[in-house]
Amino acid sequence: MTAPVPVLEDAPENVPGNVAFIGVRHHSPACARLVRRTIAELRPAHVLVEGPADFSHRLDELLLGHGLPVAIYSHHREADRLRSSWSPLCAYSPEWVAITEGRAAGAQVRFIDLPAWHPAFADRRNRYTDAEERYAEVTARLCRKFSVDNGDALWDHLVEIEDDDGLAERLATYFDLVRGETDAGEDDTAREAYMARWIRAAVADAGNRPVVVVTGGFHRPALQRLIAEEGAEEGWPEVPSPPDGATGGSYLVPYSFKRLDAFTGYQSGMPSPEYYQRLWESGPEAAADALTEIVVTRLRQRKQVVSTADLIAARTLTEGLARLRGHRAPARTDLLDGLVAALVGDDLDQPLPWTGHGPLTGGAHPAVVEMVKALSGHRVGRLAAGTPAPPLVHDATAELERHGLDKAGQVTLKLATERGLARSRVLHRLRVLRVPGFERDSGPATGGDPVMEERWTLAPSDDRLPALIEAGAYGASLADAAAAVLDERLAAAGSRVRVLAAVLFDAALCGCADLSGQIVGTLRAGLAAASDLGDLGHVLATVLGLWRHDRLLGTAGSPLFATVIEGSVQRVLWLAEGVRGGPASADLERLHALAATRDALRHAAGPLGLDREAALAVARRVAAATDAPPDLRGAAFGLAWSLGDAGDAARAVRGMSAPGVLGDWLAGLFALARDEVIATEGTSEDPTILAVLDELVAGLAETDFLVALPALRQAFEFFPPREREAIARGLLERRGLRGSPRALLRTTADPALLADAAALEHKASALLAAEGLLPEERPA
Amino acid sequence: MTEQMVQRPPAEVRFADELERLRETDTAPRPPGWALSLAAARRFVVGDDELGVRRKFVGDPSLIDRALVTLATSRGLMLVGEPGTAKSLLSELVAAAVSGDSTLTIQGGAATTEDQIKYSWNYAMLVAEGPSTRSLVPAPLLRGMAEGKVVRFEEITRCPLEVQDSLLSPLSDRVLAVPELIGPDAMVFAREGFNVIATANTRDRGVNEMSAALKRRFNFETVFPIADFATELDLVEAEAAALLERSGVQVPPRRDVLEVLVTTFRELRSGKASDGQAMDRPSTVMSTAEAVSVAHAVGVRGWFLRGEAGSAADIVECLAGTAAKDSADDLTRLRRYLEQQAARRPGPQWKALHAARHLLPGR
Repeated sequence: MTAPVPVLEDAPENVPGNVAFIGVRHHSPACARLVRRTIAELRPAHVLVEGPADFSHRLDELLLGHGLPVAIYSHHREADRLRSSWSPLCAYSPEWVAITEGRAAGAQVRFIDLPAWHPAFADRRNRYTDAEERYAEVTARLCRKFSVDNGDALWDHLVEIEDDDGLAERLATYFDLVRGETDAGEDDTAREAYMARWIRAAVADAGNRPVVVVTGGFHRPALQRLIAEEGAEEGWPEVPSPPDGATGGSYLVPYSFKRLDAFTGYQSGMPSPEYYQRLWESGPEAAADALTEIVVTRLRQRKQVVSTADLIAARTLTEGLARLRGHRAPARTDLLDGLVAALVGDDLDQPLPWTGHGPLTGGAHPAVVEMVKALSGHRVGRLAAGTPAPPLVHDATAELERHGLDKAGQVTLKLATERGLARSRVLHRLRVLRVPGFERDSGPATGGDPVMEERWTLAPSDDRLPALIEAGAYGASLADAAAAVLDERLAAAGSRVRVLAAVLFDAALCGCADLSGQIVGTLRAGLAAASDLGDLGHVLATVLGLWRHDRLLGTAGSPLFATVIEGSVQRVLWLAEGVRGGPASADLERLHALAATRDALRHAAGPLGLDREAALAVARRVAAATDAPPDLRGAAFGLAWSLGDAGDAARAVRGMSAPGVLGDWLAGLFALARDEVIATEGTSEDPTILAVLDELVAGLAETDFLVALPALRQAFEFFPPREREAIARGLLERRGLRGSPRALLRTTADPALLADAAALEHKASALLAAEGLLPEERPA
Repeated sequence: MTEQMVQRPPAEVRFADELERLRETDTAPRPPGWALSLAAARRFVVGDDELGVRRKFVGDPSLIDRALVTLATSRGLMLVGEPGTAKSLLSELVAAAVSGDSTLTIQGGAATTEDQIKYSWNYAMLVAEGPSTRSLVPAPLLRGMAEGKVVRFEEITRCPLEVQDSLLSPLSDRVLAVPELIGPDAMVFAREGFNVIATANTRDRGVNEMSAALKRRFNFETVFPIADFATELDLVEAEAAALLERSGVQVPPRRDVLEVLVTTFRELRSGKASDGQAMDRPSTVMSTAEAVSVAHAVGVRGWFLRGEAGSAADIVECLAGTAAKDSADDLTRLRRYLEQQAARRPGPQWKALHAARHLLPGR
């Protein structure tokens, strides 16, 4: 490509003092090379790096000899809200190179950005994430201009694969253009004002010696502008301290390429870290060769055929693409495009992940998945010995001691007491953090379980400490860490609603039922994609119980659970309308789901704003749908009835009187509207549904009755014994008979035996009749 | 053949001026036998504002890169994808750019025979003179090989397998034998510039039945529906407006009605509502092309029945015919979508769509 990079007219060319501003993209090898070269040439007095200023005095910790990637993990808790963020560093991070090369050149190295707890980072989990959405419009236009798919390909095209000559100018032009058209938000403005103060102080301190500033390219133009202005303050700025009452800290944690990768990680930077690691180590040709080999090896391990001809084709295509796109050596997308065109001989179900942006979704072609994985790599960082440990280790030890749980053996906890509940929460939190040696033997298993006691087995082991250090990445205290783990599990559960239910119950047990707002979105998405009515019903029932009643675990009225209820009700109604099928035996799970929906609509409709009318409309439609299974139609009819729209029950039951469907329809009805059925019994309504039913059953022929019997029995199981007795009494009254209704409910002999006897008798009479030994007209 | 009389001239005629401009400014090396360099061919498809070349294909530019580089190698190009994703348009554009000629086209179908692919005979002359180059009637493949041009094979998977396999030796050995002739004419060697672009849709029969030998001779490129809502909406608006104008409708389609239409199509196509709810996908193809034809029908109904631009109610009427076709299941899916999803959306057009749900036939 020969299209010129557009130049901003008013780009500031000269900078005051002797400052070299290097605007970088985080995790860019080309930018890291520029940083290394600049520091080597200038031998600066100060190297200022975008990073948490409160970690500046602990830079030595970074240089203990860790295996990269590592991250500075910062956590912060204020007003019951936990925030954690990472500043990941890998070998080819410009920030990492600035720190190590700066130190080696004898410069003073400092982090100059606001600390991670600062409100300017409220929505950031990763300090070095790409903030592309801020300038998506400019990027989109540049992509059109250069005919590339997305910002990552654009970046490779303009920066990574281009010659290093003129890189500084190219970067400056690019970021000037991007910044020139984008409004920096309040957060960025605050950060830039703070960083500018550090730069001014460093310039004043350095005298004639140069200062190198390494920040995100987006900030570079603003910083240059700010430096030119007169600063009011003199001397080094203070590192702001967190507001009163807030707690927090920063620790080094091992990081992984998997988390760095935009295809797999959450809020991450450049994709394909393994590719860029190799690009950094040995240049684009070697990176392309090595990764082709890795991809082929991986595919062959998976028993995919990759012939030599395919390899030649892949190489030819990659070379051709690089040439067409004007690259001096194959870039990342040239490599991937060449591999996919040559190796995938099928149609794809979804677009190639590198043509878009964001995490890899399920359903990608297996070969494509292998390619993305190979370029992602699986390097995991390792901390050097002697690195300070996170506070969770201390917190957990203290909590265990305080609650007398630091011994081995069995403990029994009474959940109704305050002490018991507190101890239980400590143990549950350790359990969800997967710290070994805490086993629960018994205790409440669901939201409605009337169990007040828990038994645990404690077994201290050598594995406990390493597990705690790892868990320390989740938070400073047991409660934070457990909440973070639950957040993560919730996000991972996706639409597997039974897993969701388990996580929510764990959250209740840990006393962490006020998970972050972010999770609510994940949860909604998970519920909205759920496809199994039974599972949804299970979640809805569990959570409704916890939301309405649970004072024991303190989850009554929890807004998180309210979200779950709302989402589940909506989804149950949607799914219920989609079920099709002919007569089949009643699906109890499905009926429970509708019953749970009814309970939610009855008890939570007001406070949660559930749409009763919409639910009623769905119920009416399903009840009238001739192609829906009978149990569901019955349940829908019952749902409408229990919501106050009785319709004509007697007519409805007559409509479903075929022996194959009657019982199943009734099972649905009774599961949902048992109370309503019983309530009409005593009234003047005529005829009542049971009277109609009585009439229908009495009218059934022998064989039809036997067909209908099992389902009918199942349907009446929904009535407790007392109500069954009331029904029996009605039955006697209707026939004008006297006697004990209870006796009707008990058979003196096994029903199977009676059925055998009846069958035998029938057979005998048939035999007799056939032989002419019985009169033709049998006495009635 | 003047342009007014032709319903749809081939790409190289429609865009003759753009091709001319590209040829004039094209300085990059051309692969042997190509009318343009790869870079210029790419610009012809993805557009170049400076040269006044329109963007003709909405999709990832990298797809065009891969397609062009594939054609410059010894493998054929197979475009696969759902119906209505502009595969044929793409193959026409690429052929026009690479060879300056997009008319060497074989239309695949159940009745396609080898004659229609390779060559047949002028039987009167064959009887009179015997087999000779004079009595030979070349079909697109023979012509493409002899002239060094790109041959398009539309809907290749709809052909019987043995007919598909007649491509094997032209693609691998780059030679076509004409055993009836003798001497040098018996072998037609492909000249530089010859290659094959095949298209296949994933709904009809898919590519699973293709022989492995033939698959190996193609590089596969999957063409996807348009990923971006705004792009698709713009495209539907532009195409529908052009169609409506030709149908004599004097008002342009309403943007808000089209928004509802395109959203409905996209959600049914992906099986995912905007709030993340998973839904059943209809078995019919909810392609952009279908959306355009519904938008066209909506405009025609509105204008000729009531003298206005067409409303959400018209969408419902037209959807039954296009989206549900004759499948009762699809009709049910559509009804469920209108009942439950449309009801929850804000805006008057969604309300109107929901209110018009009873216009769906049946039940």
